[in-house]
Amino acid sequence: MAIIELLDTSKSYRVGEIETRALDDVSLTVDSGEFTALVGPSGSGKTTLLQIIGCLDKPDRGTVTINGKDVTRLNANGRADMRREVIGFIFQFFALVPVLNAYENVELPLLLNGVGAKERRERVMGLLDAVGLADRINNRPDQLSGGQQQRVAIARALAPRPLMVLADEPTANLDTANGEQAMEIMKRLNEQTGTAFIFATHDPRVMAYARRTVNMLDGRIVDDSKKL
Amino acid sequence: MAWTKLWVIAYRDLIRNRRRTFFTLLAVALGLALLIVLNGFIAGILDDALQNSIRLQTGHVQVRAETYEDSRRSLQWKDLVEQPGEIAAQAATMPEVAAATPILWADTILNTSSESVGMQLYGIEPDSAFYDPIRASLVGGNFIEANDRGGVMIGKRMADSLGLKLGENVSLTTINADGVPEEGIFAIRGIFDSGVLVYDEATVFMPIAKAQSFALTGDRASTIIMLLHDENDADQVAAAVTAPGLQALTWRELNAVFLETMGTAMSFYWILDGIVMLIVAVIIANTLLMAVFERIREMGILSALGMKRRQVMQMMIFEASIISLAGIILGLAIGLGFVALLTQNGFVMGEMAGSTPTIPLSAVVYAKFAPETFAWLAVWTFIIALLASLYPAWFAARLEPVKALHAS
Repeated sequence: MAIIELLDTSKSYRVGEIETRALDDVSLTVDSGEFTALVGPSGSGKTTLLQIIGCLDKPDRGTVTINGKDVTRLNANGRADMRREVIGFIFQFFALVPVLNAYENVELPLLLNGVGAKERRERVMGLLDAVGLADRINNRPDQLSGGQQQRVAIARALAPRPLMVLADEPTANLDTANGEQAMEIMKRLNEQTGTAFIFATHDPRVMAYARRTVNMLDGRIVDDSKKL
Repeated sequence: MAWTKLWVIAYRDLIRNRRRTFFTLLAVALGLALLIVLNGFIAGILDDALQNSIRLQTGHVQVRAETYEDSRRSLQWKDLVEQPGEIAAQAATMPEVAAATPILWADTILNTSSESVGMQLYGIEPDSAFYDPIRASLVGGNFIEANDRGGVMIGKRMADSLGLKLGENVSLTTINADGVPEEGIFAIRGIFDSGVLVYDEATVFMPIAKAQSFALTGDRASTIIMLLHDENDADQVAAAVTAPGLQALTWRELNAVFLETMGTAMSFYWILDGIVMLIVAVIIANTLLMAVFERIREMGILSALGMKRRQVMQMMIFEASIISLAGIILGLAIGLGFVALLTQNGFVMGEMAGSTPTIPLSAVVYAKFAPETFAWLAVWTFIIALLASLYPAWFAARLEPVKALHAS
């Protein structure tokens, strides 16, 4: 079942006098449970595409349908609702809230979604256990290694049980071992939960995990292939 | 979202930059403390001046002839009270009345060999309890006797400024009841120092019997002045002592000009209060804006997680609330501590005390606790601080998630 449908989506940015076309008539469909890599060189439009799918930004043209809803018509609050309920994010720079510990960071989206206390505790502990950090629940981000922070971020992204997790260069700031560990965890959780993962990367080792690879260049999709 | 978590984030954000939080909190505290001390001092001045005015000039209730006008100090018989001694004696039997005594007032010019000074002549019953404060403040000589026909008392400030000494003679001139200038020579029997400089430099006391014969008013008096045990009984006593041809005035009416003057003065203090609060508001707004600028990426993360603008605003307002409440508690402690100190030690007013004739200030003024005013100041400080947090909160809430996430 399609959870993401982009049709003729374009987005341009203006920096001073120069206008850059970050997305150029992109059409893409993603089904539930996919484990898809967006690949391409810097400036190819991967991050812009993730931001538009993630309701962090709006396209200039085209339609973006997430879980059957045209999100280009939503206002700021409507897009916030989509992000809270349907989408999980993993960022290159981990993006944990520095004043909250690991447990509280994972709990935060559940609080935003109004999940009850008992269920919150079960979900948070379950996810931190799944990413191997059950013994680090009281550590704040500055007391965790980069790999551990990214694992907390993975747990946080999955906490509200989203339809999809969008990961922008999730291993770019990790060493090889931690990067592979993060990818293994994401792949395992994708299989266990059925949550679709879409990650932007230009790391060939990361691409190897993907079952589908979407190649981008100059804001366009130039290749879209699935592993058999 | 559970509000508790927003409070936790707000609190921890404040802890994160302890020094900045401390100095902002201190600014709120010192601002409020300043307001409390200022208002405690003003309440003390108001109370001191009003009590001085009542104790030394107006009393709580006065009975006068219906036609008597305070501004004219008329000595014409039609403007004076007949048989004032009887009225005073009758009033003194009322349980609410602590003292009742007739006074004859007259404008007079005190002449020495080298100077002439305009003064108020008080013809008084020296034995009345109304003059106990003056009696207690004698710094030289004796309190005048009721049957003294040639003696007066003056204030120390006047004596010092004119170089007058006990036993010296002075000439007093007044326009008598017939409108004719009357001059007499009187010896200085006593010098008082009431601490209220307006009285110490502009009042001459003489026995009422002599004043009446000096001003040709017969046995009439300008007023019968009453001190009550409780100022709240003034209306009731005034109603009881009034009679046809007479008017009974309470301390509120008698001090109307003073109260009005103080009311006007208070509005200037409110402006001052407002300025101090505004400074506190700017400091709060600045701190929160700094906090937002430092955490733009964090705001982006919260927004990416689906936090709504309203919730971001709430979080920032919670931060302002925490700083303000802590600052207010500290400010109350500092302010009340200083007020407590100033209720014991007081301010030495010096020359300022005699600078305004309508405000009879003591030489030393003590601050006064004004719980209701202090409470309002604390509430307003809190409200102003919250209002000041609205712009930074709005700024944070309006951040675009994409731009915020990529902020350096």
